[in-house]
Amino acid sequence: MYIAVTRTGGFAGITRKAELETTGRPDARQLTDLARAALTASRSPAPSGAPDAFHYEITIDGTTINLADSEVSEAGRALIQAVLSQDKS
Amino acid sequence: MTEMRATSAFCTIVPPHLLEQLARHEDPEVHHSARHSLALDAEHRDCRRLAIRSVVVPKPTLQPADSPQRTLYDARHHQGLPGIEVRAEGDRPSTDASVNRAYDGLGATFDFYLKAYGRHSVDGAGLPLHASVHYGEGYDNAFWNGSEMVFGDGDGKTFKDFTIPLEVIGHELTHGVTQYSANLTYDGQSGALNESVSDVFGSLIKQHALRQSAHDADWLIGEGLLETGVHGRALRSMKAPGTAYDDPRLGKDPQPAHMDHYVRTTDDNGGVHLNSGIPNHAFYLLATALGGYAWERAGRIWYDTLTGGKLPAGADFATFAQVTATAAQARYGDGEEKRAVLAAWAGVGVTPASHSSSVPHQSAAPEGAESAPQG
Ligand SMILES: [Zn+2]
Repeated sequence: MYIAVTRTGGFAGITRKAELETTGRPDARQLTDLARAALTASRSPAPSGAPDAFHYEITIDGTTINLADSEVSEAGRALIQAVLSQDKS
Repeated sequence: MTEMRATSAFCTIVPPHLLEQLARHEDPEVHHSARHSLALDAEHRDCRRLAIRSVVVPKPTLQPADSPQRTLYDARHHQGLPGIEVRAEGDRPSTDASVNRAYDGLGATFDFYLKAYGRHSVDGAGLPLHASVHYGEGYDNAFWNGSEMVFGDGDGKTFKDFTIPLEVIGHELTHGVTQYSANLTYDGQSGALNESVSDVFGSLIKQHALRQSAHDADWLIGEGLLETGVHGRALRSMKAPGTAYDDPRLGKDPQPAHMDHYVRTTDDNGGVHLNSGIPNHAFYLLATALGGYAWERAGRIWYDTLTGGKLPAGADFATFAQVTATAAQARYGDGEEKRAVLAAWAGVGVTPASHSSSVPHQSAAPEGAESAPQG
């Protein structure tokens, strides 16, 4: 499973992007479960939200969802953290 | 009772002005749910604007108090709001430094708007100020959710606690001031203006607290927020946009200082935190040209622009520039202030819109007018 996360907005205005492929990873099962849960819990389309709030774009295989920070589920939050922590740059 | 003359089919059942009254209610059971609804309502700005403009609010019978009504909450590293109440107005300092910094920052902001412009709190009518600290886990952000301020602790590697810089607190509360006045649409150029106005007054709040002149001020936003080891002084520089940081992990500060480098992007509502560098620098040029305390003449012109009822919610830079020139003329006549305003905009490559081509429709009601939400 391919998973990509882009975080935009926020007071700092700094965009963060990271992606991963679950195949061959020791945590593949967990990530896949989180991604499925995140997709199920998501609402769409995303509203523009509050000033300085984060926005997320999450792509899971062919499906992309957009979320305001206030509407990210627990699973979504865990997934975002796991993917963005890949970004060591 | 107040009346709704018109409403939108997409609006929430309870009109925003009522929610705002409930949000000020003393009973937490009443105000919590009202504040929650207002926060959700912030996601429906168009609806909200429509409703606010169509409402007739009676004149308040009592003058709002000249002191703030602050309440601090601890979100305890969760993302539910507001969290647990930890310090109310007049309480002794907490043992938690974040709580005390936010409490003091709300006080400095209230004090600034009252002393500099005679404004009572963010809505001009004494709205109680609420803030939640310790929001989320290692959360690298602070934001205004439509009814309160929210601060994260930072991740401890790149960012420190977002309650540290006073200008961050001032920035967030100014989003509230904008919401209750020009209500600049948070997208594209009007969104960059919304951001810039928050940076301008955020910086002025710090300058006011420190009694710094335009020449002594650092004009930095987020000064002291970056952890040691990060190459940078702050997140933004109004004096020299694009120079606040240059770090292997964060990259280089991407803010433009001139229209020649305006950033076209769909990220971040059209680059609202990037292109704000252009009006930010225009304000810096004006303030340093006039000298003295920047909140006095330069800040007054910007404040009149934001709250005077002539700035459309969808204003672009050229329209905003034109309204600042009009505001300078209205307050100070055809003198050095207006000339400095025009020179400042020229310095960032913005040509003020001509009167005939400016957006003529849907200007907000001026502050103090009967139809304004703040009465
Ligand atoms: Zn902002």
